[in-house]
Order: sequence, then structure tokens, then C-alpha cells
Amino acid sequence: MPEFTKPYESRWQAFLLLLPTFAVLIAFLYYPGVETFRLSLQQTILLGTRKTFVGLDNYVSLFTSSAYHWSFAISVAFAAVVVIGTLAASLFVAYLLFQVDVGSSTYLIAAIWPYALPTAVAASVLLFLLHPSLGIITFVLESLTGTSLEWFTNGPQAFAIVALVAIWKQLGYNIIFMVAALNNIPETLTESAKLDGVGHLKMLYRVYVPLMSPTLVFLVVMNTIYAFFQTFPLVDLMTSGGPNEATNLLIFKLYRDAFEFSNLGLASAESVVLFAIVAILMYVQLRLSESYTTYA
Amino acid sequence: MSDIHIDGLTKQFDDVTAVDDISLDIDSGEFLVFVGPSGCGKSTTLRMIAGLESITSGELRIGERRVNELAPKERSIAMVFQNYALYPHMTGAENMKFGMKSVSDYTDDEIDERVREAAEILDIPELLERKPKELSGGERQRVAIGRAIVREPDVFLLDEPLSNLDAKLRVQMRAELLQLHREIDATTLYVTHDQTEAMTLGDRVAVLNDGQIEQVDPPQVLYDYPATRFVAEFIGSPAMNVVPIELHGDGDGVSARHEAFDLPLPDAGDLAGHSGGASLGVRPEDVSLARNVDGERWTFEAEVSVTEPLGESLLLHCLIGDDEIHVKAEARSEINAGDVIELGVDEERLHVFDESGDAIYHSSPRERTAEDVETRAEH
Repeated sequence: MPEFTKPYESRWQAFLLLLPTFAVLIAFLYYPGVETFRLSLQQTILLGTRKTFVGLDNYVSLFTSSAYHWSFAISVAFAAVVVIGTLAASLFVAYLLFQVDVGSSTYLIAAIWPYALPTAVAASVLLFLLHPSLGIITFVLESLTGTSLEWFTNGPQAFAIVALVAIWKQLGYNIIFMVAALNNIPETLTESAKLDGVGHLKMLYRVYVPLMSPTLVFLVVMNTIYAFFQTFPLVDLMTSGGPNEATNLLIFKLYRDAFEFSNLGLASAESVVLFAIVAILMYVQLRLSESYTTYA
Repeated sequence: MSDIHIDGLTKQFDDVTAVDDISLDIDSGEFLVFVGPSGCGKSTTLRMIAGLESITSGELRIGERRVNELAPKERSIAMVFQNYALYPHMTGAENMKFGMKSVSDYTDDEIDERVREAAEILDIPELLERKPKELSGGERQRVAIGRAIVREPDVFLLDEPLSNLDAKLRVQMRAELLQLHREIDATTLYVTHDQTEAMTLGDRVAVLNDGQIEQVDPPQVLYDYPATRFVAEFIGSPAMNVVPIELHGDGDGVSARHEAFDLPLPDAGDLAGHSGGASLGVRPEDVSLARNVDGERWTFEAEVSVTEPLGESLLLHCLIGDDEIHVKAEARSEINAGDVIELGVDEERLHVFDESGDAIYHSSPRERTAEDVETRAEH
């Protein structure tokens, strides 16, 4: 039996080895977190040069603001569309990738490529591709469907376009995990089903999805975080929250409140609330999925 | 129940020929075992019959139907895998039903009835509501076998089904499989690398090597009359001793010459014309200490290099010239490494192989049954 050797010699050495990680976490995560919470209890003027303690006033004004209610509602709707849309589209693509025999790695690279693109770059490129009057995709879509895309001025269309782009951007990440999960399923299960003549679709939802469930839960959580936090560049570059507040997601609204309207205290309160919403959602997702998940 | 006809079956993977022109007829209701070392093509052959691998060339017929191009589900087969291939999120009963429900011509009642029957045959009614991770290896394999028999297939394929079980359970399951085969009476093809399993289970055993069939025969025939040197050494444990000899014929008969002995071969007239190198094969249990051989018999000397007590016997590694042979002596014999002992052989149990490895002589001629003559005539 190989002898177990500790990678460090004393408590002090262990502490020193952990120090860089803790230093980064404290400097960039815990300290800003605490500061944000402190700031959320204050009224700030002139970019935070003057502060006064106002207690829970910022929170009260948030919960009574109809603009905030609206932003909350569309953020939740946006997250639901993005999470479900991403999972469904990725599952479809991943299943095809899993089943294809020839050139599978080429297809895989093609499918995950969008994920390698920085979000801001993707947003700028798609802004042109989907531009209501100049976009080549818009042109094709309009000639195929006979409708006219006016998402610069049409709220629901703008919401749909941003959600679509958000889904497209997140596909690669989901597909990597799903293909890996599918490949982890013993091949003899597939073969056994082939002998029984089980159809592809039935196989997917009766065997593969249940066996992939731990990965799917993980992806639901990651996609939720993505939909709430990481879609900021898309909104910023494509719609700036408009038209008519249709894409004014919480993450974008708090940025505007902080840096356009210089209301740092209020924006900090929004940050704290957003954090709480996502934390609660994640907790609920993990608890709910526990009973459905098969850890083989 | 169906018979299976395999004609010139070949499987090519890129530049490797995994199965090379195999021809074989399997009778309806027969239990045929494919045995051979890793990579001999036995599993590939089974998978081609199942339809999980495409057939490069040759023809496969199940019953009267050519099935080369048929999808697995249309071949009326069921397969049991080495790793059981149970769906981990389904209970035993759900596992057994899942495939049945895809074959849509059964009603729910029929399916329940069949699952219940299969569970009774396999003695697992209490396991039906448990999931695979709550079952032991043997129980899982029983559920997997149950899943195969509920479909009442014409052909039953088993790919090393006992290899993941511990030794004791393996012996028990072996007996159960035989009993099950008698009960359901389906044509059964069984793949294993374990020659004991092959010998105990098969009505006939097909020994494969390098993608080709070396010999297909009932177990005892395979043991007593190996058609090739490969079969001789593969079947039987410890393996048959094979030493190089020169065949030497004169007026009195033919003898096998080795630097350590000159052994007269009884009734070896056919070998008189054979010149050049050959090998002599004799099983460890057919070599014995000279004192146990009848008075006038021919004997030779050997030096013991290693002794292995096997419990029921003592296995001796003996040097004769540069070659080592294994000898099974009585347990508790007073023999130690370094001793020089006098050995004799059972003259009715000698085999000679030519340079290409084909058997050219068995000292007791193989009795030809009517069936044998028939199969020989076919070839």
C-alpha cells in the first residue's frame, strides 16, 4: 500500500498554501459583498462621496416601485425561457451528436464553438446579423415567414431576440456536459434497447434523461445563474433595456441605477435582492430535483 | 426455437479481420458455446448474430430467414450481457417490462403474467420491486436473464454472463443456466473465455482462435480428440503437454523420438510416411509415476523442478531434456524438487500434431458416430 503523505508539513504551511486563494476570495468576493450590503443601507449622492445611513429605505422603495416589479417579472420570465430553451435545444443537439458515427468530433466542435466567443463580441456580431433593416438573418426570416421583424421598436420581439441569442450563446456549454453524460451511459444499455426495438425518442426520455439527471440538475442551476447575471452584455449592446423597458432585466436595471442615475445605495440594494432571488431559486431547484435524480 | 446457419461469416474492422470466414450450423434447441482467448472473435461473432455488428461478408440465417440485413429487434433474439445492462433507475420488474412494451403486440396483462412466470422460473419474485443497486451481482444477472426470457425469443445469446460473478456463485449459476435451458428449450449461444464453463455447459463447444473455428464438437470429444494443437492446449487445466518430436518409422511400427525418450506409438501405421518435425501431446493426468504403470510398459526418466500441491493431486513440473512437462501425481506423494523420477504414459491417450498444428494421430481412434460421418460428408 502506498504510504499516505501529507502535501504540507505543519498547520502554518497549510495556511500559507491556502492564503493566496483566500486573499483573492476576500479581496474580490467577500469584502465587496459586505460593502455592497453596507452600501445598500445608505443614501448616496455624487457617486458615493456623500453617504447617509437610511436603514431599509432603499429596500422599501424597491418593493414599492412598479418599475422594479416589472423588471423582476420579465427577469423571471426571461430566465424561464432561457433555462428551458437552452436545455431543450442542447438536449436535441447533444442526442444527435451522441448518435452520429461519422465525423462526430467535427460536429461537436461546430456545436460548442459559440461558447468560445466572448459574449460582447457575440452580441455585436448578432446585432448586425439580426438588425431589423440590415440583418441577413432578419432578411431570410422575413422572406420565409412573411412577417416583419421590428425588434428595435417592438418590445415582445426584442425580448424574444435577446432570449434567443442568450440561448444560442449558452448551447455549447450545455452540449459539452450533455454529450459527456450521454457517453458515460454504458453502451450495453443502448444495445440492449436496440435488441428490444426501443425507439429513439422513448429511449431518450425513459432511459437517457433519467440517467443524465445529475448533469441536467447541474445545468439547470448553471443556466439560471447565467440567465440572471451573465446576460448583461447582450442587453447592454443589443437593446439597452428597451424598447419600452421590455428587456430591462434586473442585472441591467441595477447597472443603470448605479452608473447612469448614480444611485449607488439603491443599486446595492438591488444587488442584494438579486443575489437572494438566485440563491433561493438554486436552493429550491436542488431540493426539488433530489427526489427525481438517479445517482447510479 | 430456431436453428441457425452461419456460412462464411466475416467481420472486418479497418485492417483487422476479427472473424474470418466462419461456417457453422447450430441445431434448434442446441446449447452451443463459443470459447477462445481474448480477441479470438467469439464476442464479435455473437454480436453479428445479434445484429449489433454489421456483417462484412457471408450469410446468416435464423430458421429459414436470411437475417443479415434485419434490425436486431426483427431477429427474435434476446441477449444477456456481461455487465447485466440493467437500467439503474428501474426496478427489476420495470427492467423486464421495458423491452416488452416496445414490442407492442402484448397487452399489459400478458406482460405482467409473463414477468411473473419468468420470475418464478428464476426464483426471484421478491426481487421484482428492487432497483439494480439494491441487488447483488448474482441477483442482477438473474433479473437480466429474466428480461431475456420474458420475450420468449427463438434464440438466446449470452455474452460472458458469469464473468462478473465470484467463483462460488459462478458454479451455482452454471448449474442454474443448464436447468433453465432444459426448461425453456431455446437455441442458446454462449460466449465465454473460461474453458470449464464451456465444457460443463455446451452440448457442443466451438473453439475459436484468430477469428477462425478450430473445432466444433461435444465437450468430451473436444477433450479426447483435439483436432489441433491449439485446442489441445486450450481445453483442459492444467494444459496438455506438447513436446517436439521426430517421427521415426521402421518395420516394427512408428516411434516418437525426443532427446529424452523414444516412444513407440501403437497402431500408427498411417504415420509411417510422415517425415520431419511433429509434436507429441499427452495430458498431465495421462503421465504417471512408473511404479503405477503395468510391469512391462515403456518408461522414461525426468527431473522434478517444481512441485505444486493442488489438494486432490500433486502437480509436478518435470524437465525432460530442454522441455518441461506437467505430471499429475497422487496427492501426498513423497516427491521433492530435484528428484529424478521414472515416468510412464497411458499409451491409449497420445496425440501427434504436425508442424502446422493439425492433429495427425490419436492413439485410440475416434469412434465415428453416424452423426460424425454425416457432418464429415458435408465438409
